[in-house]
Amino acid sequence: MLFKRLLSFVALLMLSISGHAGSTDQWQTLQKMAVAAHVLNYQGIFVCQTGAQSKSVEIKHIYNGHDEFARNVVLDGSPREVLNQSGDVVIYNPKNEKIVIEKRRGQNMFPAILPTDLDSIKDNYTLKVGEIERVADRQAQILLLESKDNLRYSYKFWVDSEYSLLLKSVMLNNRNEALDSMAFTQLTLIKSMELDWFKPKIDGKKAYVMEDVNTIADKQDSSHWRLKSLPEGFVKVDQMMRAVKGKTWPVTHIIFSDGLASVSLFIEPLENGIKPRTGRSLVGNTSFYANVAGNLQITVVGEVPEVTVAKIANAVVFVK
Amino acid sequence: MTEQLSALADNEIELADAEHLLASMQANSPAAEAWSRYHLIGDVMRGTPTLSADFKANLMAKIDMEPTVLAPNAAWLKSAAKADGNTSKSGGQQIAWSMAASFAAILVVGFMVLQAQVADPSLNANVATAEAGVQTSAEFIPAEYLTAHQSSAPSSTSYYIQPASYPN
Repeated sequence: MLFKRLLSFVALLMLSISGHAGSTDQWQTLQKMAVAAHVLNYQGIFVCQTGAQSKSVEIKHIYNGHDEFARNVVLDGSPREVLNQSGDVVIYNPKNEKIVIEKRRGQNMFPAILPTDLDSIKDNYTLKVGEIERVADRQAQILLLESKDNLRYSYKFWVDSEYSLLLKSVMLNNRNEALDSMAFTQLTLIKSMELDWFKPKIDGKKAYVMEDVNTIADKQDSSHWRLKSLPEGFVKVDQMMRAVKGKTWPVTHIIFSDGLASVSLFIEPLENGIKPRTGRSLVGNTSFYANVAGNLQITVVGEVPEVTVAKIANAVVFVK
Repeated sequence: MTEQLSALADNEIELADAEHLLASMQANSPAAEAWSRYHLIGDVMRGTPTLSADFKANLMAKIDMEPTVLAPNAAWLKSAAKADGNTSKSGGQQIAWSMAASFAAILVVGFMVLQAQVADPSLNANVATAEAGVQTSAEFIPAEYLTAHQSSAPSSTSYYIQPASYPN
């Protein structure tokens, strides 16, 4: 509800300030970009890249004034489909002879990768205006969202000069190396409000099964650990108990976010006869850190620099 | 209930698979209860046989009801037989057998608790030898944690690109 009210408010704001892009504050440009992805009607193809992998994705998005409908079909390799209705995401994920139906909370889905409330972003990033470049046959304004510290990655956005839609996004580390990117190669705005396309392609030869639910909501804090100060800008957004493959015990799973990036913290008791895991790694845009606190195994994973996962892991204090 | 314990006593359930029995009896922290709750949910979803929801309460009640003597009490057995006027010889045997099964089960559970206590010091050893544990190499993130992270906190690319180690 709040989200929708915010959307309509900012949509009005957009209308009132459109046509004066040159004179408006760059944060307003970013605000318009955050909203445009939700309220415009468009279809096209974007390329999603991380590490050595790259996939083309066909997208169609419609906003009817109340709800958003988007269908994303992966065009390369396995024909995965991602349907998003106002943030409720259902993924049709082909696995061998089955199609596994997965439900997700929709967040940061390109081109709507920014939250519509930019307050937390403003706290942690500075914004610079770059040049004009052409992307997917459109004129685009470059905006640089630079991290104020070394705790999060920076972003480079190419924003459609006319419609404020995000055309291309690149995530950069502090050496200015691209970690992942999403970019339209084709884009058209559409007028039709028909919704007959908003459904998965059904494969009659395959069995459709729901993904195993292996979490339960559990917000209770344990008496065996507590959290010291977290890295600047990161707040707890969710907590659950989760069954993890190969583990006898349930694992406490806590999610932190700074508004753009998410980090998962896993806390579990050490098991007799199983060696605790320690170490760190960085694969593509994802950092990993594991250590031991008292008799707890601590594991942290997230799309943030290594220092951030280490700080979150070290924030866990074992209470005997 | 007794069937479960009998099965455990008869080795029809692997000890390794029965750790949750032990755990639910040993601990009463919210995590342990959540774990049994999860097991129940998971088992129901998969359609596999489950322990009853109030397994622990039942078990404790049954143990409380058991006499504290270390051998079947002949006098108690006789009075039980008398109380039930129609009790045949086989009825008495049934009581004796169910008691035997219960004792066997308690012995096994007791043994497991003892084992866990004996094993306890190694917990500290684990902590001490943490440095010597599994070291994660620089190019590897364990798939179980990466998948869990991406399913609850998907990044913009993870909707479309799964890690190479993503279980299929």
